[in-house]
Amino acid sequence: MLLQLNNIFKWVQQGGQRVFLLKDINLTVEEGEFISIMGPSGSGKSTLLNVIGMLDNFDEGEYSFLDEPVHQLKEKHRANLYKQYIGFVFQAYHLIDELTVYENLEMPLLYKKHSGSERKAMVADMLDRFNIVGKKDLFPTQLSGGQQQLVGVARALISKPKLILADEPTGNLNSAQGEEIMQLFKELNEEGVTIVQVTHSEKNASYGRRIINLLDGRRV
Amino acid sequence: MFKIYIKIAWRSLKKQPFITSLNVFGLAIGMAGAILITLYIYDELNYDTMFADSERIYRVNADIKFGGAEMNMAETAAPMASVLEKDFDQVETVTRIRNWGSLLVSRENSKDDGKEDRSAYVDPNFFAFFGLQFLEGDVQSALENSNALVLTKSTAQKYFKDSEALGKTIRLNNEEVYTVNGVVEDMPKNSLLREHTVFMSMLGFEDSRSTQWGSHNYFTFVKMLPGYSIENFQAPLQSLVSSHMIPSVQRYYPGITEESFLASGNYVRYSTTALEDIHLYSNRHIELSQNGRIENIYILASIGLFLLILASVNFMNLSTAHSLKRAKEVGIRKTLGSKKQSLVSQFLTEAGLISFASLVVALLLAISALPYFNELAGKEIAMPFNSPVFWLLLLMGSVFLGLLSGWYPAFFMSRFKPVKVLKGSGEQSIGGSRVRSALVVTQFAISVFLIVGTLVIYRQLQYIQGKDLGYSKEQVLVLNDVFTLGNQRQAFKERVKKLTSVENATLSSYLPTPSSRSDNSYFEEGITDQEYAVQMQRWFVDHDYASTLDLEVVVGRDFSRDFPTDSLAMIINESALAKMGKTADEVLGKRFSSDLGNEDASFYTVVGVVKNFHFESLRNEIGAWNMVLGDFSNSMVVKLKPRDFSSSIAQIESVWNELVPGQSFDYYFMNESFNDTYQMEQRLGHIFIVFTILSIIIACLGLFGLAAFNAQKRTKEIGVRKVLGASVAQITYKLTLDFLKLVGISVLVALPLGWFAMNRWLQDFSYRIDIPWWILALAAFVAVFISVVTVSFQSIKAAISDPVKSLRTE
Repeated sequence: MLLQLNNIFKWVQQGGQRVFLLKDINLTVEEGEFISIMGPSGSGKSTLLNVIGMLDNFDEGEYSFLDEPVHQLKEKHRANLYKQYIGFVFQAYHLIDELTVYENLEMPLLYKKHSGSERKAMVADMLDRFNIVGKKDLFPTQLSGGQQQLVGVARALISKPKLILADEPTGNLNSAQGEEIMQLFKELNEEGVTIVQVTHSEKNASYGRRIINLLDGRRV
Repeated sequence: MFKIYIKIAWRSLKKQPFITSLNVFGLAIGMAGAILITLYIYDELNYDTMFADSERIYRVNADIKFGGAEMNMAETAAPMASVLEKDFDQVETVTRIRNWGSLLVSRENSKDDGKEDRSAYVDPNFFAFFGLQFLEGDVQSALENSNALVLTKSTAQKYFKDSEALGKTIRLNNEEVYTVNGVVEDMPKNSLLREHTVFMSMLGFEDSRSTQWGSHNYFTFVKMLPGYSIENFQAPLQSLVSSHMIPSVQRYYPGITEESFLASGNYVRYSTTALEDIHLYSNRHIELSQNGRIENIYILASIGLFLLILASVNFMNLSTAHSLKRAKEVGIRKTLGSKKQSLVSQFLTEAGLISFASLVVALLLAISALPYFNELAGKEIAMPFNSPVFWLLLLMGSVFLGLLSGWYPAFFMSRFKPVKVLKGSGEQSIGGSRVRSALVVTQFAISVFLIVGTLVIYRQLQYIQGKDLGYSKEQVLVLNDVFTLGNQRQAFKERVKKLTSVENATLSSYLPTPSSRSDNSYFEEGITDQEYAVQMQRWFVDHDYASTLDLEVVVGRDFSRDFPTDSLAMIINESALAKMGKTADEVLGKRFSSDLGNEDASFYTVVGVVKNFHFESLRNEIGAWNMVLGDFSNSMVVKLKPRDFSSSIAQIESVWNELVPGQSFDYYFMNESFNDTYQMEQRLGHIFIVFTILSIIIACLGLFGLAAFNAQKRTKEIGVRKVLGASVAQITYKLTLDFLKLVGISVLVALPLGWFAMNRWLQDFSYRIDIPWWILALAAFVAVFISVVTVSFQSIKAAISDPVKSLRTE
């Protein structure tokens, strides 16, 4: 078992009333799974993903990640946990515009203890694997959307995470580019990486082996 | 890691050239100003520290109250030095200097005259005492002869060119012949001896051996033994009053005892001022050279600090305002596992980079501004490029400024929550606007404060210049060194008076601008108790004095040649009358003497009262004063008719050359000399205005950047408003108003503070303006006007933009 959510609640106060973003979510993710989260806008998909990624807090419930009780961990400890085991892929890619492709890939390694030559080897490896060696000195704005997302996935993978969280990874791409990225996810999953993605599209969702539907913060 | 910080910092700075240059330029102006001010203050603080053992040297002062007048003297009596040297174990050595004013200098058998403005008699040990190095001659023995003197290097070169000056003879004032027994390095620029060029041996000056303790004419410096505390010196020093001062005075005022002396409220208090403190802390009746004032140092230091705060605030404002663009980066880094500290380091690196770039620009600015600054401040400061301390300070200063300006943006930005900033397009508010508003208020408050300061200083100077002084100083020429005419003085004066371009002329050394002074106590006839003494200035003048300077005789009459008895007549001013506590009628015809107890004392009859006129700086109240006839004049005052001055002066000069061919003809205008008296205020005024302008520029840079940001942030709002029918004017008004509110708050904060501070400054003047309301209004108006101009540029730009474009980006 990779992670387990038990009775997770998350809410905000609005005009003296509690508005629930997540309501009584229970979810277990095993290693090697490929899960798609679906639901209409505002159903809490991204919130759930952020909670899983430990970027967002929740108000009630228990969350254990690799048998660590996340809800009891301190901020710093939690950061160490996701830094080590989780990679993020965003809809808007979120590459750093001031850095080249190479430097963007290197970035996560800088926050861990890797020597210079190690980092070099790992980045070269990634560039190779994604066939973007020729683009390593370009800045993100010089790439197409699909290429940027490719770099985004490469960056998520570089520190060899157990889990990849993808928030509408193809939302800003055209269908051919989207196809490519989904294919990539499928291959990664077959290599053993656990993936949780949020998506609007039935087609993309079907790449997952399990679909979770949300409505108004509840599983349906 | 650090390399990456630098790399990202460099690229992101490059990406926003507008903001980066605003930041660099703002910081650079602030730094350049601070560098100049620091150099100035350093120079002022290091006066007289170059002398050997300067920390052990003290000047002896005398505070005297006698006959109702108080005098704070920096000089003491002639015999004090030898007593201190002989009877005080804690004193290592003592030396004296007596100022002797200007000298005509000529080489033996030569007509090649020159003039030296500052000469002095000094004790033989003077140069050894101050550790001054001789270029020629022997420091120990140079002044052991009564007709020996020492020249400074440049003075020696002036008269002897390249040949050796040592052993040559020179003639002073066409009378005494002196031998040059030594050549000393030029006096250090930031020392109290800076203007002195000729030092004559005290051995040739008879008065220096006087045993009289009543007259105070010698600057007396003592060097204490190492490790001796000066506090323990106070009591023994004061004991000199009973042991020497009173016995000496008894010779002139028989019957006086210490008890009766003190009982009538009189006193003599001796004290010391450390040599190194003289320049900034001593403000006594006559000083060896003009001193600065510590208050001005404080004022300048605060201006420098203000500039740095302004520049640093600017940086904070612009950085946080534009951090929206960096928010995404922060979010990504955090999800990639970056710690808060490493983000803080990233942003601080950026601040450091900007600060360092600013330092380079600031140095260039300071170097190019230094000559003008020197002129403004009346200094000869050079950039201390050879001093490692200077570089170290600069480096530390810029690192400190970088950290100071960078910490708030750094912590502000590193607090961003990744979930928030990565969501959607990131157009939401980034907060911190309250802090930014407070910072803008601070900036403008400082600027308004400085504007008030500038206006008040200038207004006060204007007031001084325009004040009716009770005498006329316009078109008044003062001729120097009239004594070189010898007994032809009267003839010269009469001939000048007859010139068509001259209205009147008078011979006197006593002028309402800096010149000779003598203070005496007067006793009415029949009074023997010194309790009733009246302390007054006594000026020796001739018959034409009052008419030449347009002094107004309000009661009685002016001196007249029709009354031969006027040689013993006296004219007093209204203050003297007030001090005596009598009416004019009671005093007219009364006889006064300044020589109590002397059988042969001459008595002067009061024949008139003149309206008070300002014979001292407007800092002081007009004191009691009288004038008597007497011919001890070294200058002649000529009142010209209002026509071409240069031809008038040429006429006078030709008369001069006829009588004393070859003697230098030296003159100045009285109103120039008057203005010199307020040089310090004028300099302060100039410095104030320059740095006020700088501060306003910095504040405007900040406001400009902030307005640009604000307009950009509200693009969508502006678009919607326009679509709904708002006019350009309405939108401009709305955008500008927000900033005006902030400026308004600054004005409300700064005006009372400025009013209060400048009133404190004005207290130094006995004659001063009340700060008029319009100065405050003007300062407020200037601040508002400048900010409106700055902001509306951006507001209008935003208001006229096409709403379709701005809404489409959503």
